[in-house]
Amino acid sequence: MNPVELYCWHFMSYPYLPKDFDEKYDTGWVTVPNELWDRERSRGLLREYTDQLVYASEIGFDGMVLNEHHQNIYGLMPSPNIIAAALAHATKRGKIVVLGNLLPLHMNPLRVAEEYAMLDNLCDGRLVAGFAPGSGPETFNYDVPSAPSRDQFWEAVDLIREAWTRPGPFAYEGAHYPLRYVNPWPLPTQRPHPPIWIPAGRSKGTLREIAKHGYSYFLSSRSHGSATAKSQQLFEKTLGEYGQQYAPHRMGILMSVVVGETDAEAREQGKEGIWYFLRNCLKGHQRREGRQLTYGPGVPYIPSEEWRDFLSSTDPTTPLLGDTEDWDDLQTSQSILVGSPDTIYERIVGILESAPVGNLLLQFHLGNMNFEFTRKSMKLFAEQVAPRLREASLKIYARRFPHLTSAGVAELVK
Amino acid sequence: MSARLIEIHNAHVAVVEAGAGAPLIYLHGFADVHACMDELQPFHRLLAKRRHVIAPALPGVNGSDELGDSTTVDDMMFRLLQTLDALGLQDFDLVGHCSGGWFAAEFAVRFPERVKSLSLIGASGLFVRGALIGDVFMNAQPERGVDYKSLRKMLFSSSDHPVARRYYPDIRGDVDVEVRRYQMLRFGSFLGFRPPYFYNRSLIDRLYRAKMPARIITGESDGMVPVVHAQAYASGLSGSGGKPVIIKGAGHAVHLEAPEMVAEAVSEVLR
Repeated sequence: MNPVELYCWHFMSYPYLPKDFDEKYDTGWVTVPNELWDRERSRGLLREYTDQLVYASEIGFDGMVLNEHHQNIYGLMPSPNIIAAALAHATKRGKIVVLGNLLPLHMNPLRVAEEYAMLDNLCDGRLVAGFAPGSGPETFNYDVPSAPSRDQFWEAVDLIREAWTRPGPFAYEGAHYPLRYVNPWPLPTQRPHPPIWIPAGRSKGTLREIAKHGYSYFLSSRSHGSATAKSQQLFEKTLGEYGQQYAPHRMGILMSVVVGETDAEAREQGKEGIWYFLRNCLKGHQRREGRQLTYGPGVPYIPSEEWRDFLSSTDPTTPLLGDTEDWDDLQTSQSILVGSPDTIYERIVGILESAPVGNLLLQFHLGNMNFEFTRKSMKLFAEQVAPRLREASLKIYARRFPHLTSAGVAELVK
Repeated sequence: MSARLIEIHNAHVAVVEAGAGAPLIYLHGFADVHACMDELQPFHRLLAKRRHVIAPALPGVNGSDELGDSTTVDDMMFRLLQTLDALGLQDFDLVGHCSGGWFAAEFAVRFPERVKSLSLIGASGLFVRGALIGDVFMNAQPERGVDYKSLRKMLFSSSDHPVARRYYPDIRGDVDVEVRRYQMLRFGSFLGFRPPYFYNRSLIDRLYRAKMPARIITGESDGMVPVVHAQAYASGLSGSGGKPVIIKGAGHAVHLEAPEMVAEAVSEVLR
């Protein structure tokens, strides 16, 4: 079995907001006025962010992760495929994970099948194809009706998979995307198709779809505690229902990591970017202050009975990640790990012990974090955390999943 | 008053009834979604003094089955036709609020011979350039997790109106009530949450077909459907006398805020 795979995830946030943004503006999403975009200061910004990912490839990360966001300060990649094309050209190693294209926002999923196939050819088979339905803000940004969007999403994924695997031309008789001629050129380099990752919460229906089709599950929650372990167990159980065995590399989680030479340095160098991220970038997404658009009655994509369950089991006054008050609070949520290489190692091992997943998607750049420090943090991680983590992960997997252990791992565990 | 689930072709529809006499079909909207469940509002009780009020819940709401992937006005019209078939109703007075008013108008232009009178209260459904229908979905997302002030402001003349406070409190309310609201938003999302954004561009040119007596009623400070929509409806519906009834000081849920005045305006076309 392979050790844990470590990916560098970038959101490409907007770092030049005025200092009093939080006092003056009620959201960083959808309606945040774009007159705040500073054209002069932003020259070269997307190139710098892309270069940080190229750097991740050079210093040994297993891959680079991109994502699609619209009309916000949180992520400046409305089209992650454009950045993926740049990475395909500028890097020689590491997977390029687009997590993912938001399918209901695209006029036709065939276009996504075509663009991903182009990317897989450009990067010589290093693409991981992520698909997501989009959450609340997207429904406002693109006027996508929430209620039918889940059904539309799964049909789109189905169409893309068929486009890659079924000899064309063929007719696709979908309810949302009926197509008389499906026959994409080029086809992806990887056979039968690039790995498919789907971000999801803990919806049983979604996990079943992921299991049924052999896709990988990426937990979209940002905080890691007992809920992460429960998600892993639920996915393991769901796979069992479809006669499959859980393997760590079928699942991934996201966390933010800020590494310094010492705990004190990590805090000192990271604090501005961290609090900018929490207070500004999460305002409108994962903060009670202002209006959160990600989830709720105004984006009614889950069936009414699931909404009833949600209402019955949650408290609307519970603080969200962006409401984090201080360092202690931050420590508890296990969402943004801050510290020396030793601290980071210990904390991630702890998470892996409770939720043995095979893919860690790690965000190093937060908010307006200093670019030089971002790279230093990445390097400290790559050199002083990653090797130990890979070794430790093999031991964890071997202990938890002895039936999956290969001779090589047995050797290492000795 | 009674509530029951009736069977129509391949689906169920929840129906609330009150009063006796000639039938009046009432189609609810979002602000009065509670009205068509188990507690008819004073406005509906006033109508029930003169008519047998029959209020079917819209698809997906309070036990009515969802329309599935169907998202068109046409599907909604068939749902209504099938409901009327099951109830054995040929002609009737028709009253609707908000999106319920939109469907009432759509029905009236298709089957004018079946509609004895048409009353539209804060009705959506028309495209009026420069006067977008408000974003109920954005406002349904509470501020600070629990604050529905802007939603109340959109649906009522004031966010502090007692009826507004009662139905949209700044706390997590009764789960059943919240689920009903959610169901209405979900139905709205299936049908109205994209261009056409609670409107059908073709409707305005079809209004001439509905010549029955009509009342177009709006609150002076409707924060959801701008008053010019009522004016456009009144101009298109010859039976309305060409002018809407504008209730001073009231908001979108004008019939909840001023039930007597709105019931009186509707009564004028009930013969």
